Amino acid sequence: MTTPEEKPVMIEFRDVHKYYGDYHALRGINGTIRAGEFFSLLGPSGCGKTTLLRTIAGFEDISSGAVLIDGKSMQGVPANVRPTNMVFQSYAIFPHMSVAENVGFGLRKDPRSKPEKAKAVEEALEMVGLKGYGGRAAHALSGGQRQRVALARALILKPKVLLLDEPLSALDKKMREHMQVELIKLQRQVGITFILVTHDQEEALVMSDRIAVMFEGEIAQLADPETLYRRPNSKKVADFIGTMNFVPCEILSEAGGKVEVEAKGLGRVTLDGTQAPPARGETPVVGLRPETLTLLYDGQQASDRATEGVVDEVIYFGDMTYYDVYLGGTDVEVRLSMRNVPGRPILDVGSKVQVAWSPDALVLFR
Amino acid sequence: MGNTPSAEAKAGWTLVSPPAIYVLLMLAAPLLLVFGLSFAGLEGGAKVSLPLQEGQDLHFTLSNYAKLFCWSASDTCSSTDVRMAQATATAMGRSLLVAALVTLTTVLLAYPVAYYVSFHVHPSKKSLWLFLITIPFWTSYVIRVALWRTILGYDGAVDAALGAVGIIDQPLNLLQYGTLAIVITLSHAYAPFAVLPIFVSLEKVDRSLLEAGQDLGESRWTTFLRVTLPLSMAGVVAAVLIVFIPTVGDYVTPELIGSGKVPMIANFIETQMWKLRNQAMGSTLAVSSMLIVAVVATLFVLANRRFLGGRK
Repeated sequence: MTTPEEKPVMIEFRDVHKYYGDYHALRGINGTIRAGEFFSLLGPSGCGKTTLLRTIAGFEDISSGAVLIDGKSMQGVPANVRPTNMVFQSYAIFPHMSVAENVGFGLRKDPRSKPEKAKAVEEALEMVGLKGYGGRAAHALSGGQRQRVALARALILKPKVLLLDEPLSALDKKMREHMQVELIKLQRQVGITFILVTHDQEEALVMSDRIAVMFEGEIAQLADPETLYRRPNSKKVADFIGTMNFVPCEILSEAGGKVEVEAKGLGRVTLDGTQAPPARGETPVVGLRPETLTLLYDGQQASDRATEGVVDEVIYFGDMTYYDVYLGGTDVEVRLSMRNVPGRPILDVGSKVQVAWSPDALVLFR
Repeated sequence: MGNTPSAEAKAGWTLVSPPAIYVLLMLAAPLLLVFGLSFAGLEGGAKVSLPLQEGQDLHFTLSNYAKLFCWSASDTCSSTDVRMAQATATAMGRSLLVAALVTLTTVLLAYPVAYYVSFHVHPSKKSLWLFLITIPFWTSYVIRVALWRTILGYDGAVDAALGAVGIIDQPLNLLQYGTLAIVITLSHAYAPFAVLPIFVSLEKVDRSLLEAGQDLGESRWTTFLRVTLPLSMAGVVAAVLIVFIPTVGDYVTPELIGSGKVPMIANFIETQMWKLRNQAMGSTLAVSSMLIVAVVATLFVLANRRFLGGRK
């Protein structure tokens, strides 16, 4: 299996800017998306992720820079001749047409005969799990079915790139999780580039090969899900992806790629400076994910470091329990997560605990 | 709290009863009267003039309708009846032709206006545009007709303008072409009626559908043909009915623009009802024309039913 880095470039952004009047919606987007990649544009609403997607589709002109698809500049190329197809957030199913007519909408200029086209429509419907739905009225479909029709309608045209604009946001939680898996499978099956716009970091982590995290018209970090989660390059990204505890610290010394810090409540720690995100001149903090902290139960030993703490809050989630713990007699509170397995009673508020952690899991933001 | 179904039904009836009673008195009752009169006859075939004289008794007859089919003189059809039937048929045909032409012109002109306002006018300015479109309604129709006489008449505005640019050297006097002048006048009068329903249906078209159309390979024009137009057909059908039905029965325009030389069916009804004081025959004409309009409108709606409500 080839890694994404070895695959040819499908989309390239070269210093893309977009203004709406005075509003600077895209502020110098650079980056590449590779063929066959499941790529996500992730960010809060208003960050420009949908605008960026629409510049690929051809629904937005860019103010400067270039968008290339498969090596060709898309400058002046209208949406209807671009090798991309889109699944709209509202699905945009044509209400005056049947399911089959919707799916076959883009086949008008296809030179194939009518029965061949009908067969292609039937196959596309089968691919998205809607076999035999062709004769149904489009307006009578459920949300999940509409989305499948939108997918079939786009994929039947065999685009080089499939663009998905928040396709799962209108579905309920169960359906959304189900469709996430289906979309991953579908992407593997058809093998084309999928570009997903989402504000849901969990969804992006689950589905993507790589993710571009966007804030205020800029790409803050472009990386694979694991790097994003474990090695966010800024406090902002760390805060947006999952939960991260930030502990104030003081930098004591820095030499040979090693940084020694005094973290409040955790004590003196030596960190690998080469792994740390670039310095931004912010007040230094160390970040650590809830699952890298562990409560020690009676008889357990810390494999690395341990710190005393007092439980301030207990949040029970069924499979997990979250504890908010004051560290080492300070006002620094961290959240940690424990899997609820046998032998681990749920602790009470006010319990004195030992918290085990490892310096490897710490990320220094400064 | 009055939330039981029967209480709700009661409240509902109370709410609808004032308009319902009004409609019954003002619409249903006169209609029934006209319908009844159209089958009324007097002893010896004398014309039915209301109020009835002492000793006159109405009876049921189909002879009023039969007279409409007097194509040639016979025992039951006098030569007057034949002339009358032919003239009525001509007027009815003219009414339908005028209404069809007016509808066609109005809808063809109204669609681009409605489209422009819906798609290209900034949302905050749409109300203003609609308001401006209704300006022709601010003056009485009779005054507008008078103005059209001036515009279309001998050496009027049209003649002057065309003469000035050298297209014509003799006045056209469009007013002499009665039917054409009637169509022009009515098309102007009904334009706002057609713009509004089309505008409403265009407003309801989800804009992402147009992007979807283009995304799936269609140009703006073919997207319009395959998506926008079919989705706005409900408005077009409404516009057609709103314009067509009243224009068939238009009475003022042929009188004032056509100087009564190109009468439409409503003028015939008026003649029977008031000038000849033959209320039974007038009612027969009214019912017949209503029936024809109903049939034409129904056929039109059926022909377009795939665009209406019953979406596939």
